[in-house]
Amino acid sequence: MKNKQKFMLQRNVHPNLILLVLLIIILILSIISLGLGAIYITPSEIIQNLIGEGTSSQKFILSNYRIPRIIIAIIVGSGLATAGAILQGILRNPLASPDVIGVTKGAGLAAVIIIVLFPASPIIYLPLAAFIGAAIIAVILMLFVYKKGAQPNTLALVGIALGAICQAGIEYFMIKFPDDVSATLLWLTGSLWARGWDQVYILLPCLILIPLLIGLTSKLDILSLGDDIATGLGERSKFLRYILLGVSVVLIGVCVATVGSIGFIGLIAPHIARRIVGSKFKVLLPASALFGAILLLVADSLGRGLFPPIEIPAGIITAVIGAPYFLYLLRSERKKT
Amino acid sequence: MESIVKAKVKIYSTAITAIVLLMLGIIISVSVGIADIDLVMILKSFFEINPSKEQLIIQTLRLPRAIIGALVGANLAVAGALMQAITRNSLASPQVFGVNAGASFFIVTAFALFPSLSSPSLVFSAFIGAAVGGITVYSFASGGGMTHVKLALAGIAVHFLLSSLTQGIIIFSEQAKDVLYWLVGSINGKSWTHVMIILPWSISGLFIALLLSRSISILVLGESTAQGLGQQVNRIRMLAGILVIILAGSSVAVAGPIGFVGLIIPHIVRRLVGGDYKRIIPFSALFGALLLVYADILARFIAYPFESPVGIVTAIIGAPFFLYLAKKGRNIKQ
Repeated sequence: MKNKQKFMLQRNVHPNLILLVLLIIILILSIISLGLGAIYITPSEIIQNLIGEGTSSQKFILSNYRIPRIIIAIIVGSGLATAGAILQGILRNPLASPDVIGVTKGAGLAAVIIIVLFPASPIIYLPLAAFIGAAIIAVILMLFVYKKGAQPNTLALVGIALGAICQAGIEYFMIKFPDDVSATLLWLTGSLWARGWDQVYILLPCLILIPLLIGLTSKLDILSLGDDIATGLGERSKFLRYILLGVSVVLIGVCVATVGSIGFIGLIAPHIARRIVGSKFKVLLPASALFGAILLLVADSLGRGLFPPIEIPAGIITAVIGAPYFLYLLRSERKKT
Repeated sequence: MESIVKAKVKIYSTAITAIVLLMLGIIISVSVGIADIDLVMILKSFFEINPSKEQLIIQTLRLPRAIIGALVGANLAVAGALMQAITRNSLASPQVFGVNAGASFFIVTAFALFPSLSSPSLVFSAFIGAAVGGITVYSFASGGGMTHVKLALAGIAVHFLLSSLTQGIIIFSEQAKDVLYWLVGSINGKSWTHVMIILPWSISGLFIALLLSRSISILVLGESTAQGLGQQVNRIRMLAGILVIILAGSSVAVAGPIGFVGLIIPHIVRRLVGGDYKRIIPFSALFGALLLVYADILARFIAYPFESPVGIVTAIIGAPFFLYLAKKGRNIKQ
């Protein structure tokens, strides 16, 4: 624990200042990211465009393709990270994350079914289905884990098994309907390619959750003390847990529905945030969200900027960054115990 | 005395039942499919010089497919048994350990970079990949007691990483559909060339595993006991590790990453014939072959007449089994 104190800055720096710095970083990253891609636009040109001057072709690219994409990256990144932070809080397991416990795969399976079986269905069905898929997996998980007395370890193993079953289902549909294979594959890896305003409109309602989450942060702090203490402090801990789980499942479902199953953000963003702002949820939650947004922005920008005009799906980049970090965490977990 | 005889009888009868079932499975596997073929025709086709259409189907498609199913199943099951012995962890298996994912990633990479590469040389890239995946997971999961969760999490992280890299390569290369079918794990559409690729590795690997089985039984007793009994623990571990890479790698090269066979079979076998690896290894081979041949038959009927990849069937059977094992306990009860 002493070692950890070194990383925490909250003693010297006001948490709001950290959040402000993170916001500024997001802003700068967004401007850089807007320029990257098959047609490069310099930051100064971007600012010119944003204040209403600039060439019409650049304006077209920016307003139709890149701006919605950046907005999606920010919302999805912060959504996944928030969901991860909540899961880690209510399960009191630092390794819990949407992808490890199989919820992402559940959303993925549901969405693939919609994509290949009902290609003509209106676009709003996709997030709905993804949410239902995520919720089904979450419910099964809860059934398994609660019987056993909420052992965090069991949760990970049950999640992995459920994930494997969903994966088999996804693969089945991909093989059965090979015409859609490129679409489903890109979607499964997770990519912001060709996402536009339509997807932004799907995501926007999620912002309603923000005030709810702000209200819940203090409860999360109490819950993380353990069920007994939380009950002692007058909280209906089980009920709260379900509410919070529900919120994170909604977030995961909607995010996965928009960009596909982008992995590891829900896992590593809360970890980085915890290192910098400490583990009080009042600061941790917004910090995780901002870090999540930064991570996805960086991943998407790298994907677009490394080898233009080829785009590397953002999900691949997050996996390349996230998996080693996860293994490192696993290692340090071991040393602690 | 009587109980020993009884145990022997039980083992022999298990072996005979398994062999009969395997034979039956291969015959069913040869006869069912989109074109149903009766038994007489099957027998005739083995000796026919001027084959009819059905006989041609048997000779060139169905028979190699059944044989590959049996070989791959045997390989994976024995690889799983060896891994569970080396690590003394009941969740160890080619899939959980990232061996399958590593082999697939290297094969897909080799395929994308050098499309002209022949199948036999793809096997070698599978070996390298299997080694890379397995060693990575092992080094992160081992030490301080390899618990189920640590192994599973390290495995899943490496698996996520490798599979998203593989998917990335597939997205950028043009032959997405072919590779994808292979990537789910399937023994559909294999020919005698594939049999010839896997056969030498399979036979030599299984044979050496048999020779090694006595030492492995001792290894399972624990490192210090094995050393006390005069075993060179590390050498045997290394040898067993190489065998795993050969067995699993060659299977992935031919049939793709078929999951869960290596996890389930050793457990079933251990329950049937006890904890002696002299029996576990041959019986694992037998039951692994059995499982995959029947899973492949089942795969043909899930969405008849569409042939589903066999990897999906094994995943659906295997994932609940994984759950059961994970909940049951931490270490193998020898």
